[in-house]
Amino acid sequence: MSLLRTCFVPLLFAASSLWTTAALGQDPQLKDTFQQAKVLWGNQGDRDGATARFEQVQSALEGKELKSEWAQILAETYNWLAVLDSGSAARKSRVNAHLEALLNLNPDFELDSAITNGRLLAAFDALRNAKLVKVALTLEPQGGELKVDGKLRSSALKFLAPGSHRITYQKPGFQTVESQVELALKEPKALEFKLQRTSSTVTIHTSPAGAEVLLDGKAQGQTLDSSGELSAPFVLGDLGSGSHVLEVRAPCFKSRRIELDPSFTAPFQDHTLEPLRLEPSRGRLTVQSDATGGELFLDGKSQGKVPVQDLQVCAGTYDLTVRYPAGGFSTRIDVREDQGQSVIAKPMARLVYVGFEGEEDFAGKDRLLKALETLGPRLTTLAFTAIKGESPQAAMARLKTSGEAELVLWVKPGAGRPVQDVELILATFQGEEARAQVKPLEQDPLQGWVERLNHLPPFSRPWIGATLLDVPGEAGPWVLEVQEGAQSAGLKANLPITQVNGQAVATVAEFRTALDQAKGETVTVMQGSESLRLPLTRAGLEIPVNAPDLCYPVLLAELRLRAAEAKGDELGWLRLDQALAFMHFRRHDRALEILRDTRILATRGVSQGTLDYYTGVCLQRLGQAYVPEAIQAFSQALKYPNATLFGPEGPLVAPLARQAMDDLRP
Amino acid sequence: MFLPQSWMFRIRPAAMVCLATFTLGAQESSLAERLYVSGDRAYARKAYTEALETWNQLLSQAPQSPFAAQALVRLARHQMEQERKPEAALPFLERLKNEHIKTPWAAEGMLMRGRILMDQARKPQDLREAMGEFNRLADLFPDHPALPEARYRLGLAYEMQGQWSRALQHHLEALRLDPTFALAPAAHLRAAEVMDILGDLPGCLRTLQELRLRYPQSSEAKEAQWRLAVRVKHRLQKPVLTSEGPWPNGKTKWLKTPTLLAVGPRGDLFIYQDDRDQAFRLEGADAVAVGPLVKNAKALTVMADGQLALLSAKNGITHASTVPVAGLSYPTGLFQDGWQGFWVSDAKNAALTLVGADGATRTLPSPAATAMASLPTGGAVVASDANRSLLFLDATGQPKLTVPYGKDLPAPFRSVLSLASDPTGHVAAIVEGPFEGVVLWGPDGALLRFAAFKTLGLNGRFRAIALDRTGGVILADRSNDLLIRLN
Repeated sequence: MSLLRTCFVPLLFAASSLWTTAALGQDPQLKDTFQQAKVLWGNQGDRDGATARFEQVQSALEGKELKSEWAQILAETYNWLAVLDSGSAARKSRVNAHLEALLNLNPDFELDSAITNGRLLAAFDALRNAKLVKVALTLEPQGGELKVDGKLRSSALKFLAPGSHRITYQKPGFQTVESQVELALKEPKALEFKLQRTSSTVTIHTSPAGAEVLLDGKAQGQTLDSSGELSAPFVLGDLGSGSHVLEVRAPCFKSRRIELDPSFTAPFQDHTLEPLRLEPSRGRLTVQSDATGGELFLDGKSQGKVPVQDLQVCAGTYDLTVRYPAGGFSTRIDVREDQGQSVIAKPMARLVYVGFEGEEDFAGKDRLLKALETLGPRLTTLAFTAIKGESPQAAMARLKTSGEAELVLWVKPGAGRPVQDVELILATFQGEEARAQVKPLEQDPLQGWVERLNHLPPFSRPWIGATLLDVPGEAGPWVLEVQEGAQSAGLKANLPITQVNGQAVATVAEFRTALDQAKGETVTVMQGSESLRLPLTRAGLEIPVNAPDLCYPVLLAELRLRAAEAKGDELGWLRLDQALAFMHFRRHDRALEILRDTRILATRGVSQGTLDYYTGVCLQRLGQAYVPEAIQAFSQALKYPNATLFGPEGPLVAPLARQAMDDLRP
Repeated sequence: MFLPQSWMFRIRPAAMVCLATFTLGAQESSLAERLYVSGDRAYARKAYTEALETWNQLLSQAPQSPFAAQALVRLARHQMEQERKPEAALPFLERLKNEHIKTPWAAEGMLMRGRILMDQARKPQDLREAMGEFNRLADLFPDHPALPEARYRLGLAYEMQGQWSRALQHHLEALRLDPTFALAPAAHLRAAEVMDILGDLPGCLRTLQELRLRYPQSSEAKEAQWRLAVRVKHRLQKPVLTSEGPWPNGKTKWLKTPTLLAVGPRGDLFIYQDDRDQAFRLEGADAVAVGPLVKNAKALTVMADGQLALLSAKNGITHASTVPVAGLSYPTGLFQDGWQGFWVSDAKNAALTLVGADGATRTLPSPAATAMASLPTGGAVVASDANRSLLFLDATGQPKLTVPYGKDLPAPFRSVLSLASDPTGHVAAIVEGPFEGVVLWGPDGALLRFAAFKTLGLNGRFRAIALDRTGGVILADRSNDLLIRLN
């Protein structure tokens, strides 16, 4: 017999227990059938009826992996069938087969002498002695795990097949003993396994079951379910001398750390701790949204319609998604225990990454594709998802039909071989594309692309109806021009403003920042000694037509979403910006359609005159045939002498419209 | 299928040629790339000769490769930036246009060629070819990142031609395309200045303010700051002129007969002291001699490169060299225009003399000028005592505006002793007659500010005037040998 020192790994126990409990369950009605069979014979003497039912049980269980309870039922069934068949001339021949099956199933099974006659008992013993060797086991200490040829066996083992066997006996806290034995028929053998103590053990029970157990920071496994409130016992072996730290964690519960002082391991003993009941660990989640119709999902599970207020959720990290009728919102949140987390959701354009087009392999491919698949947390203006297991073409076709996304992203190798550049293509489903070349081996090949995707220019800004200048020697922004609303409220030209909502402002930049922070429909400013309450509105801003730091398909998708929720002049500005985005793609026809379908009531700043001017520009670009209409549009723009380009303080449209007309006239 | 043997002979060589061409094409491309990269590495370590040789080798070995186009751009850029020989860059750029028009590098070449031709232009017609390059770039490469700059330079070209509305159109188009392009602050600044020329002062001020907010760190933002402040002060706030007394730091008797003043492109003040026959630059509170010695200089100007030019009846124009000007008897004004030509006025000549950059001289009809100053339009403002009026001329010498002496003043004046302007188009004069003092007009000839010497409490022989960049007026008193600042 050789001694083998091994580290006891609780995982093995956990795994073996798991195997036992995870064996295939059986139909509970079989137990009734089994009982009925016994009653039929015992009370009614119905041999055939009993035999039929036992056979039913036999056929249901035979040849399957069985839990010990069911293995016992099957063994008893064989016993019963052997008894029943031995009393029937017609079925007597089957007796031996039952006894052999019984021996194969459980060599240690003892026939029930209350129902089995002496002849059958003798036959079974004879059969067993002809096939198996009797062994007498001595196990010290009791309660360990016995394995014969790698299979778990009962420590009450009495018989083994003749031949060579590897027998292992192990117990947490003890050195494992392994022995190779040779058995011969009719030569009973005594086998002794005495284990030597090498460490302490700690047995724990947790509530809830399924908790992760760590010892000195190393994962040891999870506690398993039992039928009760507490988990099945989880044994931590191999606690060497000294102190140890036990930690138990479970999702949605507070972790527990227990210091095991050196007394746990001096001397080495088995310890059982008080049950470890974990306290729930939850946080609160509030999700607000101005847009209607959103549904909240945490890690893909619906949590109902937004807004939600103080939703109790397990502490932890979640992928939060809000799905709107058009657009979506996604972010990763970290809900802390006993703390509230607030998210303001708004519909964002949904971008779906559909994968790599082509089969080419190249250096850095896996890294790049992984970075693309996990792009979501880096995007601040888009709700991102990645599709796997579908070809890019199929995914695009499906998404186009389903309307689940506004934008699609795919990748294809650059033209050179070997592949050194990869092309990223981002497109709307209407066909507007932006492309970028990236080098897969760069430290962060997507950095520039991500910055571009995240950059959304402002589409409007707060406005009080006055143009301000930084003039040296003045106490604050100096009022150059005042529009009607601000004038009625008392604002005067040629004087500085010194405060906004009680906050001192020395420059135009500070004034604009203060205005950005202002809420409500009015703002209070100080001009001289007067406090004036001015109407606070918004003014439209144009987007640039060819800025390299903007991704125009994203802009278009964003503008479409915002336009769906907007009204009045705000809608008009958004539609003007849509037209400008189409002008980026030189789709002057589409831009023209939008401009002709848009009205802005404002006559100053980015207003109806601006729309008319761009209408003229689009017509001009469409060719000679549209020149008369272009002239008409520019002429229309001249009716708005205060209309501007770019923003409320931008250059006047009129001189440009006039020049354009002069250029077009023969 | 069997083919006659003659067919076999025909096919086989053809296939081999195809194969050879394909193989050669790949090899050529690879060689071109390696040569380009090798040249690039040499250039990075400033081994210019090696880099140029390598790129020239690339041009001869693989002239059709896209790398050849890049090499041509690099060779041209080297001539412009390192050798400072723009004309030597032109052959590379022309070859680039002829042989690689379909590559994006051609766009860069067009921009570069346009810039060189524009710099070389000495009269409006010379700009045509440069403008052609910029327009071609816009037509052929509408998505190219160089397009905003091409638009901006078209705007500059139209400015030089005095086509202000078109200039504004192109400056704004450049900004509309991409407000982040490298020259966007410059485009903003020029758009603002053109708006003022077109009479849109609020638009000009709004644009200057926006420039300061958008590009606060740019040199153009600093330029915008003073241009905005001066316009607001002179045209909108119009505070009463008051004397700060001797300036700087109350200094008196520190000059020797200051008779001429001028302000340079960076705002430096230059003083010509007649008794020293020398111009000086004011540095802090001290005068530092600059430029050549010129006896009896009657006009002083600072050229675009910051160098001085002085005008005297005897020598004509003196700067790095001397340019004689025929017929000068009592010179009164001098400035350099956008074409690097000089405008010269003389109190005894009923014409202005234009001395071209090539030395050629021509005259412009004008009344005899007692004083002359430049205007941001490229033209001039001329004071004519004989006509008792100020005449605003455009860049071609055509009169655009006449302002009678004394208009809107409490009393008329008889004579203009000195005339000055600033880059924002303000014109100031020292006048004498029933009204004796300082007068300031806007670029549209409107009277903005004025003060009589008596009201200012000043007594002296003021013979030179300048406008500084904080809205102040500097006067030179030749009898008391000092400067006075009005605020």
